[in-house]
Amino acid sequence: MAHGPEPGEMGGPDPIDSALEAGGGATAAGRLHVLFRSRAALGLAPAAAPALLFVPLGVVLGPAALGLLSDEALTHLDTVVSLALAALGVFIGLGLDVRPAERRLLAAASMESLLTVALVASTTAFLLARWDLRLEAPSAVVALALGIVASASSAGAAEEWHDLPHQSATRIADLDDVAPILIGGFVIAAAAHGPSAPSAGLLTVATIAIGVAGALAGWLLFETATGEAERAVFVAGAVLLVAGCAAYMGVSPLLAGLAAGVCWRLLPGPADRVVRENLRKFQHPLVVVLLVVAGATLSRSVPGVWLLAPFLTFRLAGKLIGGWFASRLAAGVTPSHLGSYLIAPGVLGIAFALNFRQVSASRAGDALLFAGAVGSLLSEVLALFAVPPKRQS
Amino acid sequence: MRRLLALLLLLVLTATVRGVASGEAAETRSTGLALGFALLAAALAGSLFEHLRLPRVSGYLVFGLMCGPYVADIISRPMARGLQIVNGLAVTLIALIAGLEMNLAHLRPRLGGMLRMGSVVLAVVYAGVFAAIMVAWPWLPIAPEASGMERAAIASVVTTLIVSFSPTVTIAVIAESRARGPLSELVLAIVVLGDLAIILAFALTMQFARWATGGAAPGDVGLLAGLSWEILASIALGAILGASFALYLRHVGRELTLVLLVLCAVLTALAARLHLDAVLAALAAGLVTENLGPRSGNLLKDAVERGALPVLILFFAGAGASLNLEVLAEIGVAAVAVSAVRLALIRLGARWGSRAAGLGPLLAQLSWTGLVSQGGVTLGLAVLVTSGFPEWGAEAQTLAVALISLHVLVGPILFRAALARAGEVGGLDAAGEGRA
Repeated sequence: MAHGPEPGEMGGPDPIDSALEAGGGATAAGRLHVLFRSRAALGLAPAAAPALLFVPLGVVLGPAALGLLSDEALTHLDTVVSLALAALGVFIGLGLDVRPAERRLLAAASMESLLTVALVASTTAFLLARWDLRLEAPSAVVALALGIVASASSAGAAEEWHDLPHQSATRIADLDDVAPILIGGFVIAAAAHGPSAPSAGLLTVATIAIGVAGALAGWLLFETATGEAERAVFVAGAVLLVAGCAAYMGVSPLLAGLAAGVCWRLLPGPADRVVRENLRKFQHPLVVVLLVVAGATLSRSVPGVWLLAPFLTFRLAGKLIGGWFASRLAAGVTPSHLGSYLIAPGVLGIAFALNFRQVSASRAGDALLFAGAVGSLLSEVLALFAVPPKRQS
Repeated sequence: MRRLLALLLLLVLTATVRGVASGEAAETRSTGLALGFALLAAALAGSLFEHLRLPRVSGYLVFGLMCGPYVADIISRPMARGLQIVNGLAVTLIALIAGLEMNLAHLRPRLGGMLRMGSVVLAVVYAGVFAAIMVAWPWLPIAPEASGMERAAIASVVTTLIVSFSPTVTIAVIAESRARGPLSELVLAIVVLGDLAIILAFALTMQFARWATGGAAPGDVGLLAGLSWEILASIALGAILGASFALYLRHVGRELTLVLLVLCAVLTALAARLHLDAVLAALAAGLVTENLGPRSGNLLKDAVERGALPVLILFFAGAGASLNLEVLAEIGVAAVAVSAVRLALIRLGARWGSRAAGLGPLLAQLSWTGLVSQGGVTLGLAVLVTSGFPEWGAEAQTLAVALISLHVLVGPILFRAALARAGEVGGLDAAGEGRA
């Protein structure tokens, strides 16, 4: 989801950033420096590991610390969180390419992420059966949810990477979200409406239908828009509608957004370009809101601390093993040490955990958000040191 | 055809989702659905109205009314409440736009005339409505047993409610018509000055009513001090934020849509926390930005347009969905009679006022149309009356709500037609092209 700078209202250096020394990506400190450039710190530009800045900020602003973000304010922000989730899904859907070379990458990426999901979920299910944590939710659903949170990865950084291995690793990291989002749709439906498979399965299909219908309605409208402002309204309205329908039904806005994104990608005309251009202006601010809300919602959770251990251990193992298998499947395109590129979790895992917490306001929701958010932050720190240095071509 | 198909799809999707996932839990999560559906469908209604040479704002309102809980119920009551999430932001943004339209150097030669006309209009309408209420008191559904000084005091409060304008609606019609010219400038100045005068008059009449009904002594210094604080501090807050925005425009000048929306959100939150008038503060912010900031040309114009359109759509769709038709049905006849008197007096006041200010015949003939709309200001004042005087305030509020329902539907249509007749629709674009 990393996009290059472009002229226009969003993107590109602004006068404040230009006055600052450019952050380097070669070292951990250099990558962190990017975070504190004014535009990235304001959420207006992409940054490496934004969670490291904005989740702790949310904790400080939240009810547990300063209280500037009260419980009531967080309830109001639920709508923005759903919108951010759907927008993330849309971007992932828009990024899907059906050309043969990309299909191989998609297969490799899906195998890597599914292997991580399987490893984390199966070990967590085994441990939950032993620990008796009383999570007020079925262990299988919690274990699967933790696996999905763990499967997210983000190899993209704020700067342009010029070496081919990193570029293909970035692509794998983008594509490895697709399969977990699909399974995540089922998990969110099961968490919200009970784990009975047929109804959760039907709701997953309904989630995709919402995305497709919203995308079609939006496409019909912004194809006929009379000006830029009206087109922007239609794009924003379509994404908001998809997010709103999903939230109303208690299903996954991420999956609905993904379906809408794929639909826009496949529809004739420049639908994908129109959506991307209009949505990009709000992408980073939405991600910031999502991370800040996740931080503010975070509460101390003893089961969460227990879940942290399998999350960190088996996520790392899953990424390294999955990365190795994926590099065999897409040999020549991906680096052999792909797994080390995929240690950084990005924001999608936290986003999914927050969505789970929205629909399942139980101890399980709190525990998953705690484990997912803290685990993601720790993994980001680990990734700062583990990712191979950038090679400029 | 495509738009019709899209509308059909939207209706089917929203109705299906609401049908499948009904229940209290779903209704608590209905804000996103309400916002998405309203943004798309109301925008369609707005463009349909524009084709019919009617204001887009009326399209948004009518959409809200038709889909709202009192008619089709596609937007349920919780969803209508969810739509009001943007109200504070919208009012502030609209006032900021009005401020950005006020270039003092450009307005200075006509400012005296505008003030004269505004004073005459207010005096005529206020005196006329007060007299009419006193005469028609036995037939009005408000405290019929009141007499003497008490009746006069209650009548003065009710008169303030009836006279009040809606700067928000008027400014929105000017903004969405992209109008520029003598009529839009005159009406803009009068509704802004009128808003200030109404706030002042409301505070004084409320104090009079408290004294007349045995609640407080006249000449309460605390009230005047509070009022002065509200007005002066609002202007100061707006000026500080406006100056900051002007500095941002000069030195950074990027991400203007986002920064503009954040500025409005900050202004709304600060005004609410400090008990200030957000409209006045935003107006001051816009005024300072326009008159002290750099010439940003199309950059700021585009940013305002991008930011304002979705907010306006949601604001007016929400207002339409919240229009209480039951109240209109309850006291419709009385409301229509009061409305007719108000309109006649506004028209008379505008004619006399423009004569006193030496304005041309076209302005004398058309300017009254911009003063018809009523909305948020009236409702806000009515709520304060109800909480201050529970024994008769609820009846006054009912009358105010009925009047708002009438005037918010009629006002924009009349004003848009007048702007078109004056040849000012699209004037902003023409001026921009001229500058370019």
